[in-house]
Amino acid sequence: MQFTNTAYAAETAEATQSAGVAASLGINGSLFIFQLINFAIVATIIWFLILKPLTKKMAERQKMIDDSIENSKKIQETLQRGEQKYQERVDEAKVEYNKIVAKATADAEQAAETMKGRAKQEIEIVVDQAKRNIRIEKNEMVAGLKKETANLIVAALEKIIAEKMDGKKDKEMIEEIVKKL
Amino acid sequence: MSQLHLPPLAAETIFHIGRLPVTNTIVNTWIAMIIFLIFGLVLRHRVSLRPSKLQNWCEYFLDLLLGYFDQVTGDRKKTLKFLPVVGSVFFFILLSNWLGLLPGTGSILIGHEPLLRPANTDLNLTIAMAVVAVISSHIFGFLTVGVFTHLNKFVQLGSLVKSIRNGPIAIFTAVIEFAVGLIEIVSEAAKVVSLSLRLFGNIFAGEVLMTVIASLVGLLVPTPFMLLELLVGIIQASVFAMLTLVYMSVASAVPHGAEH
Repeated sequence: MQFTNTAYAAETAEATQSAGVAASLGINGSLFIFQLINFAIVATIIWFLILKPLTKKMAERQKMIDDSIENSKKIQETLQRGEQKYQERVDEAKVEYNKIVAKATADAEQAAETMKGRAKQEIEIVVDQAKRNIRIEKNEMVAGLKKETANLIVAALEKIIAEKMDGKKDKEMIEEIVKKL
Repeated sequence: MSQLHLPPLAAETIFHIGRLPVTNTIVNTWIAMIIFLIFGLVLRHRVSLRPSKLQNWCEYFLDLLLGYFDQVTGDRKKTLKFLPVVGSVFFFILLSNWLGLLPGTGSILIGHEPLLRPANTDLNLTIAMAVVAVISSHIFGFLTVGVFTHLNKFVQLGSLVKSIRNGPIAIFTAVIEFAVGLIEIVSEAAKVVSLSLRLFGNIFAGEVLMTVIASLVGLLVPTPFMLLELLVGIIQASVFAMLTLVYMSVASAVPHGAEH
């Protein structure tokens, strides 16, 4: 089996002899420019239609992810700060509530004390008034009773000793009796 | 036994547009261009913050690639700055190499010439890409460290003039640095040659290998070699892209002594 291509060898040798090494390798000025332009077009297509959009989108996504992580951190921090503030407010409110409750209790106790005192005073006044009234009424009743008793006695004695005593003696005796009562 | 027809070193001209010859490798380049255009239009239309399945795959692959690029540049910002050139080079070489494995490549004939041929078996294309890579590295160098600082890496006249005041040892050092700078200029040309010939050589060798194997046994036997070529395709794309990235990183690095 013959592997050597005699035609190929002859062709190569001929090209080398006629146009030198460059020509035998197929190097040609116009073809070089043509291929240079071809490569420039391909490179432009690859860059502007494939690599640039892809890298741009990858960078955008990366930026978005970084921003999202940054935002989530900020949100978390804000949330923590909010929770802290909320807790502070709750604590403040608790303190305020305790103060208000304590004050209200104190006020209520004071008011109760005041009211108790007033009620006591009023009761004392009422009791005094009642005692005074009772005393007055008692005195009046005693006086009335005395008078009635005296009148009764006078009437009784007048009836008993109507004829033994004159009017003047009678009166003196009565007054004496009354004084003894 | 049929005669084995090995592919020639030069790409075959299929037709002409005016005076411009259109070779079968250019046809392959156009196919790659159309595929990228359709894919790009579809992707650009669908791309969103909530990725679709397609976008997800693309982003996964791109992110993987950016991770490798980061290992060279050491910085994602730098990687993204170099991505337009490096990414385009990588994806174009990858697709071109894999397109060469499609059925019909080398077998569909127009006249006596095959219609399709792997694009990177054309030295004109590989040189064009290498030239773009090296020139881009210098453009990044100019933009990053400044025109004079970057040029001083190659023509160190400033250091030579300054050394006159510092005595004979400094002058001797400056002369050596000047010579090294001139060698650097040669190495820049060598970069183009090495980049282009490496890619061309590997892909052309693969094409020849596939032709030989397919002519020996057409059924099943070429399959492992095709898988090998898939691997070679991605390796060569990676090597070209990584070297371009290294050139760019080195060119945009501030040289020693220039910080002050």
